[in-house]
Amino acid sequence: MLLPRFEYHEPSTLEEALHLMSELGGNARVLAGGTDLLVRMKLKIDKPTHVISLARVPGMDEIIPRNGHAVSIGSAVTAATLAGHELMRDRFAPLALAASRLGAPMIRNLATIGGNLVNARPAADLPPPCMVLNAELKLKSAAGERQVSVNEFFLGPGETVIEPHELLLSVHVETPPPWSGGSYIKLGARKTLEISMVNVATLLTLESPDGPIVDVRIALGAVAPTPVRAYGAEQLLIGEQPSEELFQRAGEVGVGLCSPITDHRGTMEYRCMMIEVLTKRALRSALEQARSWKP
Amino acid sequence: MKSLIQLTVNGRLVEAAVEPNRTLLQFLREDLELTGSKHGCGLGDCGACTVILDGKPVNSCLVLAVQANGREVLTIEGLAENGKLHPIQQAFVDKGAIQCGFCTPGMILSAKALLDANPRPTEQEIRLAISGNLCRCTGYQKIVEAIGEAAKTIQGMEVS
Amino acid sequence: MTQFQVLNTRAPRLDAPAKATGQAKYADDLAMPGMLWGAILHSPYAHAKILHIDTSKALKLPGVKAVVTAKEAGLVKYGVSPARYDETLFAYEKVRYVGDEIAAVAAVDQATAQEAVDLIKVDYEELPAVFDMFEAMKEGAPQIHDEFPGNLNAEVHQEFGDVDAAMAGADLVISHTFLNKRQDAAFIEPHACMAVFDSDGRLTVHSSTQVPHYAQRTIAMVLQMPIGKVRVVKPYVGGGFGPKAEATPLEMSAALLSRLSGKPVKMTYTREEVFLHSRARHQFYAEMSLGVKKDGTMLGLKNKAVLDGGAYTSFGIATVYYSGSLLGGPYKLQGMKYDGYRVYTNKPACGAQRGHGGVVHRAAFEQLLDMTAEKLGMDPIEMRLKNIMKRGDTTVNELDMSSLGMEECIQAVREASKWDEKKGRLPKGKGIGAACGFFVSGAGYPIYRSDTYHSTVVIKVSEDGGIATVLTGSAEIGQGSDTMVAMFAAETLGITLDNVRVVSGDTDLSVDLGAYSSRQTLMTGHATKEAAEQVREQIAQVLAEDLGCEASSITFRDGIVLFDGGPGNFEKIRTMYIKEHRGWTDPPHGEYLTFREAARLAYLKKGTLVGTGKYKPPKLGGSYKGAAVGTSPAYGCSAQVAEVSVDMETGEVTVDRMYDAHDCGLAVNRTQVEGQMQGSLSMGLGETLFEEVKFDSRGRILNASLGEYRIPTALDMPNVDTVIVESNEPKGPYGAKEVGEGAIMPTIPAILNAIYDATGIRVNELPSSSERLYMKLKSKE
Repeated sequence: MLLPRFEYHEPSTLEEALHLMSELGGNARVLAGGTDLLVRMKLKIDKPTHVISLARVPGMDEIIPRNGHAVSIGSAVTAATLAGHELMRDRFAPLALAASRLGAPMIRNLATIGGNLVNARPAADLPPPCMVLNAELKLKSAAGERQVSVNEFFLGPGETVIEPHELLLSVHVETPPPWSGGSYIKLGARKTLEISMVNVATLLTLESPDGPIVDVRIALGAVAPTPVRAYGAEQLLIGEQPSEELFQRAGEVGVGLCSPITDHRGTMEYRCMMIEVLTKRALRSALEQARSWKP
Repeated sequence: MKSLIQLTVNGRLVEAAVEPNRTLLQFLREDLELTGSKHGCGLGDCGACTVILDGKPVNSCLVLAVQANGREVLTIEGLAENGKLHPIQQAFVDKGAIQCGFCTPGMILSAKALLDANPRPTEQEIRLAISGNLCRCTGYQKIVEAIGEAAKTIQGMEVS
Repeated sequence: MTQFQVLNTRAPRLDAPAKATGQAKYADDLAMPGMLWGAILHSPYAHAKILHIDTSKALKLPGVKAVVTAKEAGLVKYGVSPARYDETLFAYEKVRYVGDEIAAVAAVDQATAQEAVDLIKVDYEELPAVFDMFEAMKEGAPQIHDEFPGNLNAEVHQEFGDVDAAMAGADLVISHTFLNKRQDAAFIEPHACMAVFDSDGRLTVHSSTQVPHYAQRTIAMVLQMPIGKVRVVKPYVGGGFGPKAEATPLEMSAALLSRLSGKPVKMTYTREEVFLHSRARHQFYAEMSLGVKKDGTMLGLKNKAVLDGGAYTSFGIATVYYSGSLLGGPYKLQGMKYDGYRVYTNKPACGAQRGHGGVVHRAAFEQLLDMTAEKLGMDPIEMRLKNIMKRGDTTVNELDMSSLGMEECIQAVREASKWDEKKGRLPKGKGIGAACGFFVSGAGYPIYRSDTYHSTVVIKVSEDGGIATVLTGSAEIGQGSDTMVAMFAAETLGITLDNVRVVSGDTDLSVDLGAYSSRQTLMTGHATKEAAEQVREQIAQVLAEDLGCEASSITFRDGIVLFDGGPGNFEKIRTMYIKEHRGWTDPPHGEYLTFREAARLAYLKKGTLVGTGKYKPPKLGGSYKGAAVGTSPAYGCSAQVAEVSVDMETGEVTVDRMYDAHDCGLAVNRTQVEGQMQGSLSMGLGETLFEEVKFDSRGRILNASLGEYRIPTALDMPNVDTVIVESNEPKGPYGAKEVGEGAIMPTIPAILNAIYDATGIRVNELPSSSERLYMKLKSKE
């Protein structure tokens, strides 16, 4: 399959990259992993006249712990790196898990967290875990810099608040407090190489191992035009002792917050049922992780 | 407009001028005549185009040739040394892991990447490593057996 | 079986090293100087009149060397069965499905060819289209082919024995319906070809094909060239599974463009075009009733099939016959009635795919058997054992089971799976299921009416006697036929495998019908054996004359020659050989005469040592209409057990383990037989759980990619315990018969029967996706 023609730019500094983006604006696309962009270009869905590669821009692919309480993830960090990173797996499990389920091994070696967020496919794997981690996204342009919460980032399928001249530079996440645990569950047809029919990420924090829930975050993907934070379900859980029935009810509430479509991967009805089932299971799994939290 | 790229392919330094819209797969197959990497789908769905880029297996149909500038590429043609099959290749031959052979180069390279990182993989780890390489002929079983066999051979070679 | 020197071993494939090193060249790996690239214009509409085609802009694009439409191609009708030649290379007057070919372009590179295709302007008048086979049969439905009113492409009505009487005598009659979805063979190598004319006007088409012979004939016919001026060569092929068993518009376009441009033309299908071309498994609707006695004896079967054939016939005539004929065994029936209908719809044409028309109806029947066993309170395996045929039995539709290891297969999987311990004892959500099947070892008749041999083989021995080269038109597509042929040759000649070379897949070499209907082991095998016997006899004759002994006292084994079982007196032959090969560093030695020396002597006495072999099945089958389809010199059979886990909350099915016993008569190469079994099962698993080609309301394929048309990955396919059963088929070379397609027959029903065991749900519509199963579980609550 052929790619259409385009002009290729390989800036060697961030400033150069940002300058190009201001100049070229909507005619340019950023190339990080390419697993989404190049596919769309081959399918003629995207026809950018310019492609700006981040390959030579330094510092975009690093995971930098910040003073023990937070981590800064460069937007060019690959899914494979996230999935295998010790700190990610230990403290930011939903994100590491989701990264390990993205596509298949080869795709994971190329696909980046920045690309997965900015491309904003409703069924993308990384947005829901970023949302339950309340990630802050650093957007930079030639004109300046701003920070946006990932929970306010998505506008619609393929659409985010990012401007054409802006680059997603990094993703900041705070280390969850003690007695926190997280999970990520993805429902597809096969066991790999799948675009989700439904996916769920959760982060749950207990007061103590036997104590009530002090904080919980639930995010659902592939069930609405954007990934959805199930705030309503979260409200139900906060302050309560965890239980099967509680998680079941949370799942039911979660369904109401979604608007899944019927497409060739699955019907709306099935997706709704699965939101319920997967939410419950994700919470159960997060609880287990939270109870076995270690400093 | 063409860019000049320089990359190492199978241990040899290669220099070429390529259009930016040329994929690494096209460059390998057409410019370098290394036709071992195959075009099965062009969209990263099948893994027939797998090559090892800076030590990591990737779908070369989703990498631009210009992105490979300054990097190291290993294709299936780079595995055998002086006509002697690599243990993974030999295991594939011995265990009946090859039928039509179209997925084979990609499978072998995914296996190589696995065994380089994890010399004693479990069956599940092997299956995970090749989960992005589709095969329609074998049902994967003999491929998994071959990779397990190759792991043992390589371990044995390392010990001696 | 230790009676063989070469056969029945695990010899590594001849072509494995080439494939493992990337040296093997497939069609898209070929290139020639001056080569052009071709591309095809496909119809965007499912049904439309072509009012006007304007190629002028395309012709003017720099780099374009030729543009062809029906005008240049002509209107020669072709297809697979001569009784249904219903296609032309390019559509004229109207297009019948999204993907129908309208024109083709050759240009200096792929991008230019595609750009030129986009510049061809076609004026269409859209016509109402019909996509559902039942809608297509209704009064007032859009007519797709004028010659076939009611869109009925083929109709079959057969009755064997007295079905009504059989049903009347039944204690129980159970009925059932079943539906699958259109499939895609999903071989990893898309179709590709390169066509080139030499200066004598002789065409060579290098193509990823299963059937060089059929392709050659069709290309010659459509391009209006004598067959002798057309050569089809099959390079390495990355899987066929059926859809590559006919000539393609790709090959014919490339040939036409090459003729016009005077240059070699390379053409490939994108993965999307592979889906548009299809020629893969039909959608089948099955309606069946089985009448049994209360002790489980099967009496009568009523079977109806409606097939969605798409816009053209392709292999479809054979398909609609197979849906009936392949239920004649492996169980005894007193009566069988079959009504089959193949219907045109405005979708890509369906053809033959592994197991052909037998697969879905086998699935329906094996599920029906389980339902019947349950009603009778019988174990499903016991019920099957009660009714199976044996060697020597003839089916109610006159198919001869000259060997049938059905019982051995069933007992083997029953034991291997520990069926008796597990059946009825597994917890909810876990299930075990079984099924059986059988298949032809090659169709009894060629696709075109002819007395032709089905397989011819030439064996030529090198003049130094050392290497035997087998020349065969047969097609190695990954199934291992080249290695099979070499092993038959080595065994028969009495030499070691490393001294046999195979050159194959080239119509210049010999006539062979190709790789379809699971025929090459039996048929090409026979021809190879005969050719080798001829060579051996010639050598024996020469030796007998030269040494003054009886030819019948001479045997060949492991590369040596025995005279009355002993070394004999051959000094002068050796002396002569060594004298003739002064300077060689590997003179023949040892106490026995070598094949090498003997064959050299034969050359010296007779000239080039050549043996020819040929095979054609005897007249088979009954005298009823359609009797030909289903006939075969022999039948392979198999039994499978599947174990599944079902996630009762999501409907997801995981196949944990599979057990497969296949009777292949004699396993020529044990490793290859196992590989064919495992591969068949993985296709069956995919068809059961994931695979389905989906269309939108305008006839466009929604999931024309390997990302959305899901075949099993290494994480989806479990391990298979394989058991090879060898019933020693008298009509097969050294007792061998098929494995390539038969192995898929029991897979779908074994899994479905296991799902029933786990959940109490009969899934009678494929695929058993998590949603489908979930909805059924929910409605049962």
